[in-house]
Amino acid sequence: MDAVFSFLTVYTHPELFALVAVGTFAGVYVGAIPGLSVTMAVSILISFTFSWDVLPAIALMIGIYMGGVYGGSRTAILLNIPGAPSAIATALDGYPMAKRGQAGEAIGITTVMSFIGGFVGIAVLAVAAPFVSDFALSFQPRDYMLLAVLGLLLVGSLAGESLVKGIFCGALGLMLGTVGMDPLTFTQRFTFDLPLLQSGISFIAVMIGLFGVSEALSQLHDVDKQAVRQKISRIVPSWGTVTKHLPLSMQTSALGVLIGALPGTGGDIAALMAYDHAKRVTRNPEREFGDGAIEGLVAPETANNAAVGGAFIPMMTLGIPGDAVTAIMIGALFIHGLNPGPMLMVEKPDMFWFIVGGLVLANFCMLFFGLTGIKLFVKIVEMPRAVLVPLIMLLSIVGAYAVNNSISDVYWMLGFGVFGYFLKLYGYPLGPIILGVILSRLLDDNWRRAILSERGSLEGFFMGILTSPLSLVLFLSVIFIFVSQTPPWKRWRKRREALRARIDPAKPAKVTTNKGDLPR
Amino acid sequence: MAAKRARRPGETAFTGLLLVVSLFLLWSAYGISGFESLSSAGAVPLATTFAMVVTAAIVLFKTNRMVPAADEKLGHEVLPPMVMVFAVLLLVYALLLEPLGFLPTSFLFLVVAIRLLSHRSWLYAAAISLLSLALIYILFRIVFTVLMPPGIVPEGEILSWLRQATGVRF
Repeated sequence: MDAVFSFLTVYTHPELFALVAVGTFAGVYVGAIPGLSVTMAVSILISFTFSWDVLPAIALMIGIYMGGVYGGSRTAILLNIPGAPSAIATALDGYPMAKRGQAGEAIGITTVMSFIGGFVGIAVLAVAAPFVSDFALSFQPRDYMLLAVLGLLLVGSLAGESLVKGIFCGALGLMLGTVGMDPLTFTQRFTFDLPLLQSGISFIAVMIGLFGVSEALSQLHDVDKQAVRQKISRIVPSWGTVTKHLPLSMQTSALGVLIGALPGTGGDIAALMAYDHAKRVTRNPEREFGDGAIEGLVAPETANNAAVGGAFIPMMTLGIPGDAVTAIMIGALFIHGLNPGPMLMVEKPDMFWFIVGGLVLANFCMLFFGLTGIKLFVKIVEMPRAVLVPLIMLLSIVGAYAVNNSISDVYWMLGFGVFGYFLKLYGYPLGPIILGVILSRLLDDNWRRAILSERGSLEGFFMGILTSPLSLVLFLSVIFIFVSQTPPWKRWRKRREALRARIDPAKPAKVTTNKGDLPR
Repeated sequence: MAAKRARRPGETAFTGLLLVVSLFLLWSAYGISGFESLSSAGAVPLATTFAMVVTAAIVLFKTNRMVPAADEKLGHEVLPPMVMVFAVLLLVYALLLEPLGFLPTSFLFLVVAIRLLSHRSWLYAAAISLLSLALIYILFRIVFTVLMPPGIVPEGEILSWLRQATGVRF
């Protein structure tokens, strides 16, 4: 019964209801405007909402998250510029549809499919999270440690150019998280006797630098790119179109939830994998993929919104972020004195049900805003970058300053902004860095606890892994990700794919998308 | 995948720099508690910086084997003048923020930035800046109640005067 009341909190409090609605509305635009990302918006928002109560702050972020993941598809369809990384796959078929004059139809089906995907994600979250958290109570410190490593490796291997660069960034993030006074032994770590570094580097400054300023600096490369207008036809899709693609949407939703729930990987990766999946299972598309196939819109859009609900599962149950945005939300919960993890679900189940309720509302708002207000939308998206880029920079500085009212945070932020610019330019993924910073404490604590409980013996630690089924599975997954990225394994895979293509010419070899092109 | 891409200008130097910094951090991590025990404060820093050194070395090795991009120049594709100008602008903004205050610094920054990027007149830049600054001020200072360095403009006093004069709580 309490769960129902907590679930309904957003609906019974007008101000929370309004915040979710406003958040979703803003999210659609933030997601749609190229150069503004959800990760950026949420990280800047943390610094502005930290003086609020926790519920309104979370309500706003939930809305932005849900709306933002969807919003990227709009510009992908209309301008062939994905507004967010999660909409890269959407542009492949969405833009050809728009060029044929079916922009409205494409937007309509995208909106409805995002809604369906979003619901599947939330439903799985609501059903699965309580079980996972019960299960999580039996997790040993070493399991947490392995999960953190697994998350970092996963996102490192899937998101960037190469696993090596991903590992570098993950390790860098972990290192940044350890800067300052060690909370267990009060030893100084990486402080170089500077008082500035004793309390550590503000993770919000790192985040805003990496996702705000570095993105704005990269945008300076193509300030003069002009948007092309598209004509918009009918928007609400026919019932027949929706039901026809329902089976595919269920498959890709499931895929999306799964990818979202894996620690570290979020909607961008889910969307690309779903697109790949749709390509393989669709036997006779009305049009070829890449030439405006509706399946090519259905798959990524269901998957990326399903990944939202999925990403909350590890966040709420284990305190391990499902993707970059949930990593930032964990930071927000920390700031508000909450400690996400299995104990939060036990002690404050109302928080969980509040988030589920907020997500459901955000999903409805997304459907509503998605199917209305297109004219206004086109105007806002055409906002010249010459104005947009300076504004992002301004907000980044204000945001970095606002957290602690300290100018040194602004310098950190700017430093990381410039650093992030170069990292991006040379193909390093930024996601693992922020994940590393957030996971650093968890990994450090749990490693030390695990090794202390074995009285400092490494053999004891590995025996512990071998004797616990869960630890063993996690450990083997870590090893597998590692091995699957080594050159001999890749060569073996390629040979096998080639062999299969020769045996069954109807099934083309799996097309791998070059993830190095992801604008991160 | 990485091998197919051409090497961008400055990539080797950047990777080399990452390696040097990683080595320095490894040395610094060793200084925390050495190889005292597996559960010491320095264990995780040592492991992470070691991972950084190894991966940076591998990346450097791979980068060295890449074909340099023939059509890219350091001053054009990698670090165009505009990016440099903006890096400096941002630094100046941060330096002036506390002494001058949020409103004047932001206004100056926006005017210069928008003028540089839009190639329109100063008047256009000033008008757009004023408008967006007003919106930001209302949204963040009044709705989000974020405190910004006041500097030379006594905006806190003006706000409280306005609140008293109008009798409206905002």
